[in-house]
Amino acid sequence: MTTLTFTLKHFPAQRVDMSPLICSKLEGLDANAICAIELQNGKSKVRVDHLFYVTGSNTQDILIANSSNKLDFIGKELDGGSISVQGDAGAYLGLQMKSGSINVSGDAGLYAACEMKNGLLQINGDAGDFLGGALPGNKQGMKGGTVLVKGNVGQRAGDHMRRGQILIEGNVGDYCGSRMLAGTIAVMGNTGRYLGYAMRRGTLLLWNQPQLSSTFNDCGSHTLAFLPILFSSFKSLDSRFADAQAKFDRVRRYGGDMAETGRGEVLVRI
Amino acid sequence: MLIKLTGGTVYDPASGIDGQQQDIYVQDGRIIDPPTDGRPVDQEYDLRGKVVMSGAIDMHTHIGGGKGNIARTLLPEDHRMDPVPRTPITRSGNGHAMPSTYVAGYRYAEMGYTACFEPAVLPINARQAHMEMGDTPIVDKGGYVMLGSDDFFLRMMTANKDQKAINDYVAWTLNAAKGIGIKVVNAGGINAFKFNQRKLDLDEQNSHYAVTPRQILQTLARAVQELGITHPLHVHGCNLGVPGNLETTLNTIQGIDGLPMHLTHIQFHSYGTEGDFKFSSGAAQIAEAINSNPNITADVGQILFGQTVTASGDNMRQHANHRFASPNKWVCMDIECDAGCGVVPFKYKDQNFVNALQWAIGLEIFLLVQDPWRIFLTTDHPNGAPFTSYPHLIRLLMDRSFRNDMLATIHPEAQKMTTLASIEREYTLNEIAIMTRAGAARIIGLKDRGALSAGNWADITIYTENADRQAMFTKPDYVFKDGELVVKDGQVVKVTWGTTHIVKPEYDLSIEKDLKPYFDKYLTMKLGNFKISDDEISEDGRGSLTAHPLRGAA
Repeated sequence: MTTLTFTLKHFPAQRVDMSPLICSKLEGLDANAICAIELQNGKSKVRVDHLFYVTGSNTQDILIANSSNKLDFIGKELDGGSISVQGDAGAYLGLQMKSGSINVSGDAGLYAACEMKNGLLQINGDAGDFLGGALPGNKQGMKGGTVLVKGNVGQRAGDHMRRGQILIEGNVGDYCGSRMLAGTIAVMGNTGRYLGYAMRRGTLLLWNQPQLSSTFNDCGSHTLAFLPILFSSFKSLDSRFADAQAKFDRVRRYGGDMAETGRGEVLVRI
Repeated sequence: MLIKLTGGTVYDPASGIDGQQQDIYVQDGRIIDPPTDGRPVDQEYDLRGKVVMSGAIDMHTHIGGGKGNIARTLLPEDHRMDPVPRTPITRSGNGHAMPSTYVAGYRYAEMGYTACFEPAVLPINARQAHMEMGDTPIVDKGGYVMLGSDDFFLRMMTANKDQKAINDYVAWTLNAAKGIGIKVVNAGGINAFKFNQRKLDLDEQNSHYAVTPRQILQTLARAVQELGITHPLHVHGCNLGVPGNLETTLNTIQGIDGLPMHLTHIQFHSYGTEGDFKFSSGAAQIAEAINSNPNITADVGQILFGQTVTASGDNMRQHANHRFASPNKWVCMDIECDAGCGVVPFKYKDQNFVNALQWAIGLEIFLLVQDPWRIFLTTDHPNGAPFTSYPHLIRLLMDRSFRNDMLATIHPEAQKMTTLASIEREYTLNEIAIMTRAGAARIIGLKDRGALSAGNWADITIYTENADRQAMFTKPDYVFKDGELVVKDGQVVKVTWGTTHIVKPEYDLSIEKDLKPYFDKYLTMKLGNFKISDDEISEDGRGSLTAHPLRGAA
């Protein structure tokens, strides 16, 4: 069985809701049935084969080729299997995904890994705002799994995050870890303003000294034995986080946000 | 066009008709006497075996005003989970607990409702409330203007201004804000909250103005009476939701000195402190007090289980209840010294003792108040439940075995604390028609609505007789609004625009001499901008105003 491949025929003028094209929903469907699925495209509905050339048959291994940032909801509620995206992904990549893996070669839009529950989501380019966040109005964002971004990330990464880990090789925008409930965000690059704004618990692990609000308290320097164990868990990732040189165990610790319950921590490599 | 509705079983309590087979003729939007000149009928509807009532009237439902938008903003998930696509004639929208304006209008009409009254129009936000109601299609609307916690009124009370001056202010405000009645919410309590009082009993003084809720209620009830406003003072009492508030409510009834008073969502004000959980039903005492005081009317504010949002001007009680917010997010705010606002999402659970008993208390009140002309069917939408649950509520009232089946599923301790199982009463169709039509029109003071006799506007709802009353009231066969067929088989088939009902009590213009400097000094808008002109309601080409007569003026 070969990879089920959807090759975008042309750049769509309107946004496309890709949520029907996940492994579990396609399982057992033949090529004709898959081609006949209707996707919401702007105001209208269009058949899959109107937008894509469809080849291959393994519904557990999906490739979206020649992808564009107009393709929203890729891997929504993905529950097993893998989806690869060649090119960019639109908004809500991996929304509420439960298991399996998604790999994007380009950039992802707003709300990638929003309310993700488990699995692995890798973005080789940049990610937009609200990475691993919660849908507007909801109280809990990402609840588990791993997100790896090799490029830079927009604002509000990990907003309302509840559990799981977000690993960022590049820089993050403002309000990283805002309203965070728990979980881990690691950033190798630089961080923006209002880091950890209103975070309650959780860990922000930083390679570079951030600009911290006055509601974070300096708790001194520490050697933390759990850090090498954490780094070991990254070993299988295709990432700089897996490099032996990346490891460290000496950090300066800051507690906050004291404007909230203040049980979160910012750990900065020293 | 002459329309004939043939052979339906008519329930028209306003004319004393209780289930008689009758023909109804409609022409030019109104019901007319059977024509004698032999002119042909343009359209005939065969209604044999069907139940005919006038269009239902919701006399207390929060469909307009700032708190609705706050609730919508606070709960995007409520909208996300209930999308309504557009059709060739209706617009798109969404929302379960606090639907968008268009969807609210369509859904009301599809349930056979033809008029809705917003009970909390803050004068300073009245323009927004009217704009929002102006975007609510099909149904007629109107609002009760909220007074009693506003700074100007409380200053008048402190200064011992005479009743005449108060009356002028009340009438002026009612004209300026285009309302049909006066509402008081936690009399003075909204204001006291701003002076750090967290509760205010009936005879407790506001720490700044030294005015008690009892004085406010008496003064405003007298103003309503003396101005000849038909709708009695619409009172959201003190101590909403507090165990033991039964005493406050009974005191409020006694303290009004026989003046007409409407107690709204009385279920929330009928709690005792007995039992292991210090929370019990006061429904029997409250119903007894309503039965023996003919000046008192009430609507129930029934709760029904499920997710909703409570939106109230009573920031004092909403602040106290924020601990129960589910999901855990809430808003309390002041509105320009005029009043306040609190929005707290709620999930009523049948396995929660308090919620289960609240459910039973509401039903007890419905069933123990004897006179259906003085008790009204509401859930205080959206505070007790969204209005779309009315058909379910009607079935609970009309079907004892269904009621008892439901009762058997709620929290067992709550079952022990209610007498509901022993109450045999089942509402009749005629009583439902009184509660939701004739009685509501009478208490609001609507002329030519809520009745099916000749001369009335042809707001008519036709149901198929069905022993399952929930199914029957969910999906009317036909709904006519002002003589036009707007709903067929529970689906909107034509979108019309209802009128806005108001009253225009007279006042001494010199009141503006005091108000103008007050507005200039303290408020965010000028007096001239505060007053809503008639054109603002009608200039969009679909809104209109209907002024109703004052009492004694006929």
